[in-house]
Amino acid sequence: MEISRREFVSKAFKSSLYQITNFPEEDLSLRKEDPLIRMQRELERALEKPREQRKWVMVIDLRKCVGCKACTIACVAENSLPPGVAYRPVIEEEIGTYPNVTRRFIPRPCMQCDNPPCVPVCPVKATWKREDGIVVIDYDTCIGCRYCIVACPYNARYFDFGEHYTEKTPKLMNYEKRKFFEYGEEWERKGEESPIGNARKCHFCIHRIENGELPACVTTCIGRATYFGDVKDPNTLVSQLISKPNVVRLKEEFGTEPKVYYLL
Amino acid sequence: MGKLVRRDFIKTFALLGGTTVFLTLLPRLSNIERIVAYKEALKEGKPLNPLLEPGNILYSVCQQCNTQCGIKVKLLDGIVAKIEGNPYSPWTLHPHIDYYTPLIEATKIDGALCPKGQAGIQTQYDPYRVVKVLKRAGKRGENKWISISFEQAIDEIVNGGYLFKHVAEEENRYVPGLKELWALRDPKLSSEMSNDVKNIWEGKMNVNEFKSKWKDHLHVLIDPDHPDLGPKNNQVVVMWGRLKGGRSDFIHRFFGDSFGTINRHGHTTVCQGSLYFACKAMSEQYIVDPKTKVGKWEKGEKFYWQADQENSEFIIFVGASPFEGNYGPTNRTFGITDGLVSGKVKIAVIDPRFSKTASKAWKWIPIKPGTEGAFALAMIRWIIENRKYDERYLSNANKAAAKEDGEPTWTNATWLVKIVDGKPEKFLRASELGIGGDQFVVLTKEGPKAFEPYDEDEVVEGELFVDTEIKGYRVKSALRILYESSSSKSLKEWAEICEVNPRDIVELADEFTKHGKKAAADIHRGVSQHTNGFYNVTCWMNLNLLIGNFDWKGGMIKASTYSIMGGKKGQPFDLSKMHPAKMTPFGISIIRHEVKYEETTIFDGYPAKRQWYPLSSDVYQEILPSIGDEYPYPIKVLFLYMGTPVYSLPAGHTNIPILMDTNRLPLFIAIDITIGTTSLYADYIFPDLSYLERWEFAGSHPNIAPKVQPIRQPVVEPMVEKVKVFGKEMPLSLEALLLKLAEKLGLPGFGKDGFGKGQDFLSMDDYYIRMVANVAMEDEPVPNANDEEVKLFLESRKHLSPAIFDPERWRSILGDDLWRKVVFVLNRGGRFEDYYKAYPEGELVKNKYGRLINMYQEKTSTTKDAITGVKYPGFALYISSPRDVSGKEIKDDGYNLITYRTITMTKSRTITNYWLLSLEPENYLLINKKDAEALGLKQGDAVKITSATNPEGIWDLGNGVKKPMIGKVKIVEGIKPGVIAFSLGYGHWATGAKDTIIDGVQIKGDERREKGIHANAAMRIDPIIKNTCLTDIPGGSAVFYDTKVKILKVTT
Repeated sequence: MEISRREFVSKAFKSSLYQITNFPEEDLSLRKEDPLIRMQRELERALEKPREQRKWVMVIDLRKCVGCKACTIACVAENSLPPGVAYRPVIEEEIGTYPNVTRRFIPRPCMQCDNPPCVPVCPVKATWKREDGIVVIDYDTCIGCRYCIVACPYNARYFDFGEHYTEKTPKLMNYEKRKFFEYGEEWERKGEESPIGNARKCHFCIHRIENGELPACVTTCIGRATYFGDVKDPNTLVSQLISKPNVVRLKEEFGTEPKVYYLL
Repeated sequence: MGKLVRRDFIKTFALLGGTTVFLTLLPRLSNIERIVAYKEALKEGKPLNPLLEPGNILYSVCQQCNTQCGIKVKLLDGIVAKIEGNPYSPWTLHPHIDYYTPLIEATKIDGALCPKGQAGIQTQYDPYRVVKVLKRAGKRGENKWISISFEQAIDEIVNGGYLFKHVAEEENRYVPGLKELWALRDPKLSSEMSNDVKNIWEGKMNVNEFKSKWKDHLHVLIDPDHPDLGPKNNQVVVMWGRLKGGRSDFIHRFFGDSFGTINRHGHTTVCQGSLYFACKAMSEQYIVDPKTKVGKWEKGEKFYWQADQENSEFIIFVGASPFEGNYGPTNRTFGITDGLVSGKVKIAVIDPRFSKTASKAWKWIPIKPGTEGAFALAMIRWIIENRKYDERYLSNANKAAAKEDGEPTWTNATWLVKIVDGKPEKFLRASELGIGGDQFVVLTKEGPKAFEPYDEDEVVEGELFVDTEIKGYRVKSALRILYESSSSKSLKEWAEICEVNPRDIVELADEFTKHGKKAAADIHRGVSQHTNGFYNVTCWMNLNLLIGNFDWKGGMIKASTYSIMGGKKGQPFDLSKMHPAKMTPFGISIIRHEVKYEETTIFDGYPAKRQWYPLSSDVYQEILPSIGDEYPYPIKVLFLYMGTPVYSLPAGHTNIPILMDTNRLPLFIAIDITIGTTSLYADYIFPDLSYLERWEFAGSHPNIAPKVQPIRQPVVEPMVEKVKVFGKEMPLSLEALLLKLAEKLGLPGFGKDGFGKGQDFLSMDDYYIRMVANVAMEDEPVPNANDEEVKLFLESRKHLSPAIFDPERWRSILGDDLWRKVVFVLNRGGRFEDYYKAYPEGELVKNKYGRLINMYQEKTSTTKDAITGVKYPGFALYISSPRDVSGKEIKDDGYNLITYRTITMTKSRTITNYWLLSLEPENYLLINKKDAEALGLKQGDAVKITSATNPEGIWDLGNGVKKPMIGKVKIVEGIKPGVIAFSLGYGHWATGAKDTIIDGVQIKGDERREKGIHANAAMRIDPIIKNTCLTDIPGGSAVFYDTKVKILKVTT
């Protein structure tokens, strides 16, 4: 498609969204705005800066998580994940004794640690932390030794055994063989080619965020429990949320400095 | 499939899993150029992601459940790669983006979507999808098939004959064809006979007079001695599961307007029938005939209200879980979670199971199933006795009074009801007091006052709690009757019935009345699917009436949609009138709905052979058993569309022997995307289009405030075989089947000039594109799509063949101006009113119900039960459950079995989604820890479920196949002791779960689809009507929650 954005937004089409996505931070109207729209605007702002000047974090408000697992499945679909691999499972627990009971749901993506235990154990330097905070895997370099999988205290890394959901049915279906775009490159799961035989993990959907689209788990969240953005920008939703008193991180005592925050 | 050998090909060619030819369809434009460009971009630091190209994105509507969220479908080489929420749709963003937002602007904005919606790719690409017409090769249900040509199937169904000579014991079985059942063909005659049948029912004509008047035409009737059974056309039945606008109109046009059968029945009562029909009773309006000056209760809407979760401050969810089902979760969840964290909203959940919604609630009340109405009455009592009701609202007797108070709705709380032998009956009429005609009466300080309910000028308000005698008439006000019903027990007694803490009743009632109009009681299946469902619903909706929250922001609201059938100002196609020879179907339906037994010619005293349903319709559980009993007449042909009554209904196994009986049901045709748990028993299966391949107009839900019409449209090339109909190529589908039958029969209303002179109805989109045009033109027409948007419209559909996407023909039907409006609408996946228009300034919603709401239901109170001959009560009351069809209590022992929805499953249709199964490979029986200890059960133990009417604990699937109801227990604290629950959707015996033989070759089933427990077969069968589940009589609900079961540990 060769339609430029500027051409497209004709005078007749001066939309309210256009206004919404561009309204100044000091806008004082009490009109409601979906947090997805705000985060979208913040994402576009962050992308205007060089990569090293942004730092991505995720905030998960457990009070809003209803345990629907849309994030788990959205991620599977987005990243063409095989059986046994889920970058973002949701852990469920029941607390209390009848009738004083509750249930808690905890989504668990990769924590994108500032001090990631998975990185130093890699014998081939196939995994590292980027300047924008995302811990990445180079599938072409990864030898599938799985040291990183063991090293992660959050169990956030998985191994791609090359399985398919429809392999034992009358036909292995095409959607499982489709091209996908992790790390902004083109992949196809076939034969023994990467990422089959590699470690795999959440990467905050680099191929989406760097093209101006929020991560799949964030947009699909029906309770709006997941927030994403640039923590180097003090005006972002995530910057504001992590300054609240009810913030915690998982297994902080390990010194991993996770970049996924939870609100209780 | 590079190594495909011939054997493999034969093995599966009637299923999608073998249709290589259809999967190799290439897009007309190559993506290579684009990818090269992206690789270039990547070097500069921009990652590759073709899914973000506007030309790869299409907007449509999900159907992984009935919430029908707007979706954004991202394609790659014509294959669905990813599904997101449609940001134009109020289901997925809050607020959704402005409708006029240019398409290109929405590219990177995704709305939310639940896990089922995300997994829709696996419904589309299910390897077990049927792609060719299948004909039964063994006994019904044996799962042996041959694939046949579409033409052969149509020929056989139209002409009938000895169609199953190849099946043992059916060599000499003659099957009637549609041709001979299309007996009455003259629209004028059908209209006149229909009128005379009404005359018979109203006592204005007798059968002999009818017979002599129509002596030349009696052969078209099922039984000339009972003309009110209608024409032989009625011996063709069409029934459906999930059906939405467009396709629904297609079915009604074919079977009703053209073929002329009265028997077109949906599945409402298996969902939340009594919720619909109690609200219908509450929305009946008193329409006075201008000639006779006598009124009648009519125009009640089959609908209901839900809470406006966006603005409410307090919501009680009763037997409802908006985070899992309940016409949520995508559209409802954020409004609630946002409000919970900001402190704006508080919720309470009344449910024997600790649902995901309960996990966020201020209070969870584990009630005894079936006592929901009692809880509401207890709250009503407290509210009335503590004067916490909205007195101003309830005093208004007519529209003028409501208007004066700024109230869009009003009730009959003050209207006087006559009390005969201690029982409330009809409203007192002004004529009875000699102070007017057919008007109602309230008591004012000046004495009795006659009034018109819809009078906009004279304000009439009445006394609230009247109990008096006027001119010899003993009368009470409707509110007084409600109060007496609620005060028939003390709060403590009500609490004992519900097995709850009385303090909780008081706290809920207090909280409910602290927020003015911004509180709501939102109810769903847990309230309606009991034998007392109709009255439970009435109790809860009466509770809402006490605070008068209807049409108020944060109160109870209703759905609003743009009309697809036209007829409104500015709409170009009045489709319901565009028929050259429209029939008037008439007669008693096979489910005996909306007819009074005692008025018919088959009245034979009480009890009737089976129950009648004067106040409800779409009584799903009644269709097949009535066919089995040939009551009130035998059926010859059954069409089943997207439904599986055997799996979905309580005690659905009782339908199996009926479906297998070729005498009682000579011809059974199913339209399905797989060989499903009921289509397994069909004679023919016609493959259908998936929800991503077809058209439908999804309508709305009562919790959506904006006026909308989400439009489902083909986003991928259909996987099924293509066939020729009216000389045009089209994919096998419901529409292809009906169009081809019409072509073969010569049925009017289809084909050349099908819509009238010069307007052909040759393919499905001839109908649907006109509907889109109607949507575009209602109220303020939408803008024309500009050139760029038209270009994008075509570019994003480049992978679709003319069989499904034919823009030039569409343009020629519509003309350029309308065409551009249609493009504008389709580009956005439908039409959606803006958020701030639906929620204008002030405290009221824009799209209002705005009429009388009946606290007292006069129509109900004058309707007789066909089993007992007794009239139904017309007010909110508690009747214990369960009861049989005659109203007698049923007393079984055991654990109370209930069902629930997990967000990852939709009854019968998501078992094909392996991503969802990866989250929960099987379901389980939830049981309280105390109960598990008493039974000596450990986590994960396998148990069998048995009941009074299924002591073996099995699904008897026919042909000697039995599937035991065995599942694993999950021991939890979050369920009321004495209650056990299973989630619906698992434990299949078809839909790819079992081996299938097609053309003599065995196709292996997938055991993942068999796992888990589906315990519907344990549900109670009515002791009197022995082939049907328990039923709520006035409301028609199939009863899910009133069965007692035994739990037996098994070793596996």
